[in-house]
Amino acid sequence: MLRHSHTAVIARNEVWAGSAETEPYEAGWAREAVVFITTLSSSGLAEGNRAARVQISPDGMRWVDEGSKLDVPAQTDGVSVARVRHFGNWLRVVSEMPAASRAAVLVTLHLK
Amino acid sequence: MNVLTHAPTAADLLQTLRLAQPALSRFDPLPRIISLDDFNRGSCGFVQLIGNYEGSLDSMLPEYAGFRAPMISTLSHWDTGSQGAMGGDYALKLATRAEAGAQSVAIKRLTFRKRAPIRLEFYFTFKPEASEMRLSEADVRSFGFLLDLQTGDTDSDGARVMPHLRFLNASNGQHAQRWQFKRRSKAVHKLGTEDKVVSHFHLSEDDWEDLAGGGQRLCYNEIPTKVNWHYVCFDFDLQTMQATGLRCNDRVFDLGASHDCIRLPAMPNLWCMLNLAFFIEADSAKRAFLYLDGVCLSGAL
Repeated sequence: MLRHSHTAVIARNEVWAGSAETEPYEAGWAREAVVFITTLSSSGLAEGNRAARVQISPDGMRWVDEGSKLDVPAQTDGVSVARVRHFGNWLRVVSEMPAASRAAVLVTLHLK
Repeated sequence: MNVLTHAPTAADLLQTLRLAQPALSRFDPLPRIISLDDFNRGSCGFVQLIGNYEGSLDSMLPEYAGFRAPMISTLSHWDTGSQGAMGGDYALKLATRAEAGAQSVAIKRLTFRKRAPIRLEFYFTFKPEASEMRLSEADVRSFGFLLDLQTGDTDSDGARVMPHLRFLNASNGQHAQRWQFKRRSKAVHKLGTEDKVVSHFHLSEDDWEDLAGGGQRLCYNEIPTKVNWHYVCFDFDLQTMQATGLRCNDRVFDLGASHDCIRLPAMPNLWCMLNLAFFIEADSAKRAFLYLDGVCLSGAL
């Protein structure tokens, strides 16, 4: 049997400024997740900002950093990526945007 | 055991074969199985509903922007762990944001090949997020389902028809527990500049009407992390474009003279459309979850 593969759009055209997080997403069936952040528009961002990170959770309500960090890309259509394994059941992406910056983002999980 | 008192007919044999197959024996399908979705096999074509747009995502009607992607869930809870689904580990889960009025919608997009009766059956349960140690029975506003249909391109009665039904669980923090339908929708907006794309928001809180005799008390259970599966069967005739039946568990509701669907002029690119969608809506600042395990769409031969 072919293994399952699924792409989930967990944020679409959402504007990140200050603190932001995606909604909890269950993917306990998957062994791996690739997280992409695509910037649709932005201002005040520099490359290498590492403003976003992956979090995991025992219950979808209490969260802990998984350890992966990734940029919120400064350029329109820029893409950043993190690869995650052993995440249990719950995933989300949180960001702490630099002062005076903002970005409209597309955040996707690629699961299999 | 049922004993036949006549020579078995083709219908008897079909029924017997189906009853011997656990995946089908919990449904009462019409002869043609159009789709039989078991979410142990993935999301089976259900995807988040997205609003139309042209040129930019910013052109999308704002009501659609907050919808979230459905996910495959083990119904995992902080106090009991994974409950699993009705038939296996996994169910399809729709989740709202933690905001009163927030909605989530999952849709499966098909077309039909014959204007004939169809039947939608599914097993469901709904719960609020277990973020408080309270009963929380009125934190989910509603769950529901809809069909989005359009006649064939050569049919003389061209129309887009959208039967909507929801179970209004609570309103403003008070239990309501009744079935409602909708026959009116919001205005259709043109999007972009090419005069090709339109959009209308048909899931607003407005225009829901009570189904006559549509009160029903479901099995919410006693804490937010105990869930029980329920059954719904909805019949629709694609020939007459009329809903013909609604059943939830042991209750059969009359879709008589007072019931109707949202009806719109036929749209240019939707011929023979047969979409089915499910939705969930929060009534408090707490995420609302709808779980589906087993969706069967069947039709007449």
